[in-house]
Amino acid sequence: MPMYESVMQEKPPIVLDIGTAYTKLGFAAEAYPRKIMPTEVVMTATGTRKRLFDYSNPEELYDQLVDFLQTIFFKHLLVSPKERKFVLVENVFGPTVLRETLARVLFVHFDVSSVLFVPVHLIALSTLAVPTALVVDIGYSETSIMPVFSGVQIMAAFKDQSYGGRAIHAEIKRQLVESGVKESLLTESVLEDIKVRTCFVTTMERAQARSSGGQDQPTPAPAVDYIVSDNDAIIQVPGLLRETVYEIMFEPSNERDSLPHLILRSILDCTLDVRRALVESVFLVGGGSMVQGLLARLRQELQHLLAEDPFYAERFHGELQFKFFNAIGKQNFTAWLGGALCGATDLIQTRSLVKETYLKSEHVPDWSNLCDNRPTGS
Amino acid sequence: MSFMQPSPVKYACSCGILNPINKLFFCRHCPKLRCGFCVTHEIESHFCSNCLENIPSTEARHKKNCCANCFDCPCCQHTLSARASTVPVVRKTEEAKDTKDGGDSKGDATPPVPASSKPSAVPTTKKMYYLSCLSCRWTTRDVGIPDQGVATGTWPDNECLYQARFNALVEYFQAVVLQEKQEKMEFMRRKAPKQHKFPSLTDRTGLTVSLIRRQIGWNDKVPKAKAVITPAEATADVEGLPANIFTEPLNLRNVTTITQRHSQPADQPTAVGSLYPQRRSLWIKRSLRCRQCEHNLIKPEYHPTSIKYRIQLFASYHVPEVVMVRCEQPLLPGKSNAILLKLTNPTMYDMTIRLLTAAPPEDPQLSTEANRVMKDEPISSSPLLKAVGITLSRQNSTREVKREVVDLSNAEIVPLESEFVLSQRDDSKEFDEYVQLPTEEPKFIVWRKGHKVLLRLQFTPAEELPASTDVVLGFYMQYTYVNTVTNASEKKEPTTHALHSRVFITAGAIEPKAN
Repeated sequence: MPMYESVMQEKPPIVLDIGTAYTKLGFAAEAYPRKIMPTEVVMTATGTRKRLFDYSNPEELYDQLVDFLQTIFFKHLLVSPKERKFVLVENVFGPTVLRETLARVLFVHFDVSSVLFVPVHLIALSTLAVPTALVVDIGYSETSIMPVFSGVQIMAAFKDQSYGGRAIHAEIKRQLVESGVKESLLTESVLEDIKVRTCFVTTMERAQARSSGGQDQPTPAPAVDYIVSDNDAIIQVPGLLRETVYEIMFEPSNERDSLPHLILRSILDCTLDVRRALVESVFLVGGGSMVQGLLARLRQELQHLLAEDPFYAERFHGELQFKFFNAIGKQNFTAWLGGALCGATDLIQTRSLVKETYLKSEHVPDWSNLCDNRPTGS
Repeated sequence: MSFMQPSPVKYACSCGILNPINKLFFCRHCPKLRCGFCVTHEIESHFCSNCLENIPSTEARHKKNCCANCFDCPCCQHTLSARASTVPVVRKTEEAKDTKDGGDSKGDATPPVPASSKPSAVPTTKKMYYLSCLSCRWTTRDVGIPDQGVATGTWPDNECLYQARFNALVEYFQAVVLQEKQEKMEFMRRKAPKQHKFPSLTDRTGLTVSLIRRQIGWNDKVPKAKAVITPAEATADVEGLPANIFTEPLNLRNVTTITQRHSQPADQPTAVGSLYPQRRSLWIKRSLRCRQCEHNLIKPEYHPTSIKYRIQLFASYHVPEVVMVRCEQPLLPGKSNAILLKLTNPTMYDMTIRLLTAAPPEDPQLSTEANRVMKDEPISSSPLLKAVGITLSRQNSTREVKREVVDLSNAEIVPLESEFVLSQRDDSKEFDEYVQLPTEEPKFIVWRKGHKVLLRLQFTPAEELPASTDVVLGFYMQYTYVNTVTNASEKKEPTTHALHSRVFITAGAIEPKAN
């Protein structure tokens, strides 16, 4: 295949997935990112760390992005961004200002040759080589659901809710403060470490027994002494906390917006013909989906709702069984991996936004913008 | 000098960002101030910060920007060091046992083999190496990696588990995209046939191709290699929680932290036992280039052990340095005050300095020179190219938007009544006996020694400043700069420019009102 050999001989494109909490970075056609680093910039004046997406005006965001990308290129990837091709994994419903600023930084400040924006849900699916799935992305700031059928995103059935890593951290903090732990100890990194190392998603039976509040409560998992080495302090992490922090994703409420409800409602928003296909192919990606026991619990809950909930019982028919895909690699960089696959193909030549086009209008084409999305001929 | 704390004196770079002088560069060709934001960074060379070995860029790319010999601790990200341990090897006289012995020493490499009790055996020792972290005491023995006979080079890499599947995916998608592209090209060819003298319909339908193929005796259809891959399969039986999670106490020492997981991005182990030494990533030496004229501002020496530069155009070698000494009185709003500033001339030529409140007019010499350079440019290219309108000079590549300098000043300064001369830097004079020459000095100069001058600048903080806000003085410093490099080759003698830069000084906070 001479055509793509010539593509690979030149410098490999850089693939970036800039998440709210972590940024995945590396080169196309590589099986894992070079680095997963916190999306933070160090303020030069004070030396404190600050999240990249905390900004008060676009100018500030621009400067922070320049700083951040500079670190990526010269400390981690060790390549000059000049005349490089880029694949950027982006949220379909991400803020426009972010997208525009990022493009401006890359084209104007770093002088890159082309940028290919790929939507996170669709591109995560490409790592499976299947055209149809219900992609659930559990990230730091939100959980979003996008059904994809035959490689087409069903935008009308997109759903998102704010329970992601941030909500879990807040819940751990709330429970620990309630149990008498000093709030000053509970920095973001400590909370994250507690979440990652001790917490899990409990089974449905135990969760139901707890919420019904009967006499015979299940004995909680053993408590853990967590050592905060920076402060020489020990936090007792109760077993109940370990089991129950992830319950915010499954909390039954009148809003009916817990994760299982969200998935079912998203499927119901799709046309009748694709529903069975979606039920039988659920794909969980994002760092939040790596927690122990999440898949089993989700399956239990979904099957339970299908059978017991009258709303869903009269809309779903036949023997339905939820099936899940296993990601290759780890879920927290699945979207990046999709970008790396995409960057290895000829699409990088044909579909990218090249510098010349960008500089003509200083605008990134967007699906939600009517200027770029008009039916041709009108 | 303000050491380890932000400098109170800031210069406005030509791009509009304020920086202390030690973070600024000076492009002699423009001649303007530049900062890290408005220059292009380039990678000069790759090297390992631990073994200080220079690695060529192709090799660095091949090795994924990692050093071949140095490892990082997977536990604490400190550098691992190779440690030698002597393992007694029993050399036996019998040939038959030799092979067994070889196997033994390999298998029992980790615990030292006890010296053989056999009197016939000759105890010899062999050096075996393992990697150990001097910071957290982690060793390769902890995770069961066998000791190696040589210190570097033989440590095995941990393989990526799904590499084969990933390669299959890459191949599949490349084939799919290629196929799509070919189909599209075919479609376009049929849709827009070549203009021909006589209208022909056969080519539109692709019939000619199949006709010819049939005549040769090939298959009618072009055999299309359809890309195939086994798609992933969804399953209903998902992994549940381990049964003992509700009963077994959790030992946090066996669970990796998030940093440890992310430092091993391919497999991100959750158990401490699967941590693996990570190859140390390389560092780079950077060179900086002016965006306007494409001349190098900073070019480090090639060798990693050298900390010198081949080209170093730091601003502190070319621009007079302003140091704030002290304010004469406590700062009060609306009360006139004076500040003592020390100016230093770093160049080999005398400088004439003026402190102004408004921007001086641009140096006419500079602007004409810039025009002249523009005119001269096509000389380098051949007349043929000139006729076509192509110049060989590189296109000004980056169009970073120039920003307006944010005027922070909130005090009114009294401009100095006259200009003054800052004499050249002369290192030999430093050791001379200092003789005060009876010269007529302007009033504002407090003292003068060699290339340094201390001057007194009067100012009044604004009336309405609330307590404990910083008073910022802003002024334009115009100085003459003797440029020894010129853009034109025929002109050898140095040219003198009157340059100016905007300086902001944070004099301190307004005193709380004493009442």
